[in-house]
Amino acid sequence: MFAKGSRIATVVMVLAVAAACSGTSTAKNSPSGSAASNATLNYNVTSQVMIGWDPSTGYSNEIIAMNNMYEQLTRYNPDTKQVDPLLATKWESSADGLTWTFTIRSGVRFHTGRTMTADDVKASIDRTMQLNGGAAYIWGPVKSIDAPSADTVVFTLKYPSPMDLIASADYAAYIFDTKAAGNQDLAKWFEAGHEAGTGPYQLDQWNKGQETELRLKAFPDYWDGWNGSHYARYIFSVTPEATTAAQLLRSGQATIVERMTPQLWQTFQNQDGFTTTDDASWQTLLAMLNTSSGPLADVNVRQAVASAIDYQGMMAALHGGAEQISGYVPPGLWGHSDNLPNPTYDVQHAQDLLQKAGYGPSGKPMDLTLTYTQGDADEQLVGQLMKADLAKLNINVDVRGLAWPAQWSMAKSSNPADRQDILLFYWWPDYADPYSWFINLFHTEPKPFFNLSYYSNPQLDKMIDDVETVAATNRDQAVGDYQQMQTMLLQDMPAISLYTQVYQKAMQSSVGGFIENPAYPNVVFGYDVQPTG
Amino acid sequence: MTKYVARRVALAILVVAGVVVLTFVIARVVPGDPAASWAGPHVSRAELARVRHDLGLDLPLPEQIGRYFAGVAGGDWGTSIHTHQPVLSDLMDRAPASIELVTVAMLIALVVGIPLGLISAKWPGRASDGIIRVAAVLGVSMPAFWLALILQLLFFQRLHLLPVAGQYDPNLDYTHPLTQYTRMVVVDALITGNWIVLRSAIAHLILPALVIASYPVGVITRMVRASVLDTVGEDHVRMVRALGFPERSVFGRFALKLSLNPVIAVVALVFAYSLANTFLVEAVFDWPGLGSYAANAISALDTPAIVGVTLFIAVVYVVLNLAVDLVQAYLDPRIRLR
Repeated sequence: MFAKGSRIATVVMVLAVAAACSGTSTAKNSPSGSAASNATLNYNVTSQVMIGWDPSTGYSNEIIAMNNMYEQLTRYNPDTKQVDPLLATKWESSADGLTWTFTIRSGVRFHTGRTMTADDVKASIDRTMQLNGGAAYIWGPVKSIDAPSADTVVFTLKYPSPMDLIASADYAAYIFDTKAAGNQDLAKWFEAGHEAGTGPYQLDQWNKGQETELRLKAFPDYWDGWNGSHYARYIFSVTPEATTAAQLLRSGQATIVERMTPQLWQTFQNQDGFTTTDDASWQTLLAMLNTSSGPLADVNVRQAVASAIDYQGMMAALHGGAEQISGYVPPGLWGHSDNLPNPTYDVQHAQDLLQKAGYGPSGKPMDLTLTYTQGDADEQLVGQLMKADLAKLNINVDVRGLAWPAQWSMAKSSNPADRQDILLFYWWPDYADPYSWFINLFHTEPKPFFNLSYYSNPQLDKMIDDVETVAATNRDQAVGDYQQMQTMLLQDMPAISLYTQVYQKAMQSSVGGFIENPAYPNVVFGYDVQPTG
Repeated sequence: MTKYVARRVALAILVVAGVVVLTFVIARVVPGDPAASWAGPHVSRAELARVRHDLGLDLPLPEQIGRYFAGVAGGDWGTSIHTHQPVLSDLMDRAPASIELVTVAMLIALVVGIPLGLISAKWPGRASDGIIRVAAVLGVSMPAFWLALILQLLFFQRLHLLPVAGQYDPNLDYTHPLTQYTRMVVVDALITGNWIVLRSAIAHLILPALVIASYPVGVITRMVRASVLDTVGEDHVRMVRALGFPERSVFGRFALKLSLNPVIAVVALVFAYSLANTFLVEAVFDWPGLGSYAANAISALDTPAIVGVTLFIAVVYVVLNLAVDLVQAYLDPRIRLR
């Protein structure tokens, strides 16, 4: 028995050593992306990429791949705060903002081989509107779409809306070949793992549920051509654990890492062979305060809570992973303003306000319930920091982490007594327009849905109802309206705008030309980055 | 024997059905609307209601359970809320990776654990026994997550000996594409003679398998030691010794064989346990197995996926236990009579 055991042990050791030797070459691989002809971009992300394949209804993480396989009519440019041409070369709206005419780019091919026409644009958006799933609501203003010529698409609207912005949306605005499935059901064809876009990359292989989940390859007939230096292959690999992602980047196996902890990200700063970027996102963390019941129904208490938070301390604790913002609209998005009456950390002011309401260190104690989305380490930290800050003012906060469906159910409870006092959650727009925050979070709702501070202000409602019409015809005036609405909100304080997340990416220094576009969260446009060196 | 087998199989089906009903009910009574996970971040009211209806979440709980069982019987295990894919298809994609990993880990555990247990039992009280017992306790109690990170730091970052994560080098997909039959990379590479991928797969398998093996190594070592010590004190072993058989034979041929019954039972249980409890190791090593799938399902309140994983694990548990029972009953007629 011992002799047999030792023989087996020897075999195992030999196998292990043999494998270890083969592993040496893997671990010491040089960074990918050095040869433009077959350079591979390996984008390392934290969670499953392809949740859905249907460009009409997909409304999840697939955005990061879809935006490389599909294109929209326009693309938002965060530098100019305007949209740039993409599949549309130009557009114009009527004076009343009710008719929008887009000129469609000629010579664009779908990955299926067909040439795109205005009819395809109409058919794509018609299908998205008809299915009405995912983010299809963005087309709500559209009454009808016409394609009077091969390169012209006309949108007729029910009410004025900024169609140039809507057409740039990161979801539900893709143009695709609606005839790709032939006689088959198109939805089933997509969900089986097919695509029919016009983007620079086309599907090579989908490994459902695997670590290297998705492989794309350059589409040879891409309308913008392949002159210059580009990645020929694009891999999406999934690494949930940040330390492992960092190791993969060090080994050269990963080209760009979507996200790691701020501490790990800092280890790549100023390190030879790597580049780091930190750009403010449009993903804002809000503390929704219960304005309908409990102590926070009193505006003085809400203002006191807003003044009791040590914002600078919070930013320091988040190690650069967050950036404090002015108002509710993040920087880089039109409608943002730095001149707003934002709350500041002022404990004395908070005490004075609490005293008016009978609370505070010398008054009666206050008990509040705060919920955050379980699994989000930043929200958990923010909850704990708010608890510590408010404890100094005789306010006891019960911090509860709940899975999002449970957190949302509690917030929507028909019994106000069952709802939380403070709810932490992120909000971001589905297209480059601040309207999303206001219509969803602050417009009166008979039954709570996303207005989870249960706030109701008829004057604000009226302004929200009118602002998209203004945005469609006079954007400068709309910017002023958004400033005014934010001022009203900061006075009533139904929600504290805590910060906007900062995208901290680390990548091989061989990656050139990377620019973060917050209108397309976590999307790395493979065509726009170049393999260098 | 036939009656015994029939009784055990009937009991096994009952156990699996009971586990499924219990898991289904627990997953459904947890507050929260799973449709919110399905529908996406800024879903409209109408879309949320439609999703709830499409997923059958607006039906009474007993009807949902009834439909689920009818579906399972027909091969439809429901659709996962977090992956939007059929659960059975998800499990077929994920389970082979976990089974491959856990099988290798169990082989390591047997190859290491049995000799260590024997050495420990042969010289009880000596320094070697003390060291092995401490090592066994460490193996059982050491957090797998921590051990995984330490091994990564040592073998990848410091020594550059082994890869850090994944099943094999993804660049090989372009140079040496692997045809997948079983979705177990090592097995598929062997079947297709893809030696480059095989070498890469074995290299990638070593660290996660070692981490997962640490717990069963400890359990098996302790079990073998205790069992052999019990057996060597029994009359028949003393007689073997009195007949003049060498000590090596007494332990290796007689005592060990008699001690293996409880070890086989433990190995079957630990195998099934490891299948469901590897999610931290899978997370650290990017291993696309059942553990990480189950962890994501729980955070999304993904009832079909949670129940699907539970059903799968329950079936593995029950089948392995049944196999162990039958093997033991075959070997030892006294068990059949109990």
